[in-house]
Amino acid sequence: MTENLISTQKTHRENLADAANAALFLAVFVGVWQVVFMLGIWPKISLPSPAMVIESFARIIWNHSLPESIGITLARLVGAFAVSMTLGTLIGLAMIRFKGFGKTLNSFSAGLLSFPSIAWVPFSILLIGFNEFGILFVVIMSSIFSIMISTYSSIRNIPPIYLDAARNMGSKGLALFRHVTIPAVTPSLIIGLRQAWSFAWHAIIGAEILMSIVGLGHILSVGRDFIDQSQVIASMITIFAIGLLVDRFLLYKLEDKVRRKWGLDLHR
Amino acid sequence: MTKLQARGVVKRFDHDGNSVMALDGINLNVEEGDFVCIVGPSGCGKSTFLNIVAGLEKPDSGEVLLNGKPISTPGPDRTMVFQEGALFPWLKVIDNVEFGLKMARIPKDERRQISQSYLDMMQLTKFADSYTYQLSTGMKQRVAIARALAMDPEILLMDEPFAALDSQTRDLLLVELQLIWERTKKTIIFVTHNISESVILGKRVVIFTNRPSKIKKEIVIDYRRPRLMEDENLQKYYHQILEELKSEVIARAKDENQ
Repeated sequence: MTENLISTQKTHRENLADAANAALFLAVFVGVWQVVFMLGIWPKISLPSPAMVIESFARIIWNHSLPESIGITLARLVGAFAVSMTLGTLIGLAMIRFKGFGKTLNSFSAGLLSFPSIAWVPFSILLIGFNEFGILFVVIMSSIFSIMISTYSSIRNIPPIYLDAARNMGSKGLALFRHVTIPAVTPSLIIGLRQAWSFAWHAIIGAEILMSIVGLGHILSVGRDFIDQSQVIASMITIFAIGLLVDRFLLYKLEDKVRRKWGLDLHR
Repeated sequence: MTKLQARGVVKRFDHDGNSVMALDGINLNVEEGDFVCIVGPSGCGKSTFLNIVAGLEKPDSGEVLLNGKPISTPGPDRTMVFQEGALFPWLKVIDNVEFGLKMARIPKDERRQISQSYLDMMQLTKFADSYTYQLSTGMKQRVAIARALAMDPEILLMDEPFAALDSQTRDLLLVELQLIWERTKKTIIFVTHNISESVILGKRVVIFTNRPSKIKKEIVIDYRRPRLMEDENLQKYYHQILEELKSEVIARAKDENQ
């Protein structure tokens, strides 16, 4: 049993090899960038060198605009995400409870899920205004459907045999929900959560570019306004890094933990 | 004493807009401590009958009485061992066995003690803290049996529980189940399409006809236990049941070709 568990976890050596590969990839990437820069195909103003971007990084860290922007963006994101998780779950449960409602709403799911987050911006500006709540609204609308649909479809896809077995052992009502429904949907809910998070992340940056006077999206758009491509790239790298870190060290970890416990895809 | 009584149980299903009769008036009495095997061609409605006894499905007419009282809902007095085990992958083995006891609000210490004793009986003591994916199919079915027995049901329902097992594992479990039955004196209804299984296990073997199912014949097997698969003396029962079933299987094949 224990061997079984250990063999599925990455060894220290494998982790080192992965890190070395990533480092090598980055080195080659930066090298190619430097070479392209030196060839002078584009003017410096359109394509700065890696060193110029690092300088820009140092500047926006030094004048606090980067750390502050990160803080504000993440605070908005977490707040909006908490709202869409709560409301999305409740609506998903209502879809289960009221079958016709659920079926109807679910038939719109493809349109709702693929709806581009940026397309909410004009509506939000006119409905709520050019303010904090307007931004939050865009993020909430962009992530809520993913939570709602994944709650609904996860519950509907529970293998009936689990419910039969539980009812057979005298489980019903709230106890059935708590001890069977919730654990049974956890793996697929986490996948929905990851997806919703990524939609929310797209939305917040888009909304900040167009609607905000602070935040990561804002410093990106300031870079454009001042024709400062180094700052634009520095902001993009920050956005990339945060997206990667949150997924790897939070959501992916969570999913992996549940999948491991359930014994799903052990040998990938 | 009569433990379970089925009276005129009828069940229809809607299939592509047509009403298909699955059970056409099943009458069956099961005595306390009985071991009844139900055999029949696949798709004949024997599992449906078991689901009705479990309370997971409702008959269109007729009724099933347990200790003289009609059954209407599922309940832990009739625990079921499903074909696929139906263990919960999010729980450890011991927590799976305890699940029903927990639902019955039995205190933690007591339910741990009960489930431990059934795990011991099924020789799974070492695996109490494993998750189900770490077990073989045979071990999973033993956990499922432990889980069903832990509820101390009035009657144990088994729906082709050994169908997915390899033959060595199944032979082993067929012997174990007989020993458990003798030890616990449980009343058991065991559904299978496998004639050998029914001959080895059953005190009585009830043969269902092809759909719409009725009871075609009942054969009493009065033979010492534990019975083994290789026992030559069981052959005559096997052939007797096979003869009865043959025409039903042919009828079934005809249905399918239409």
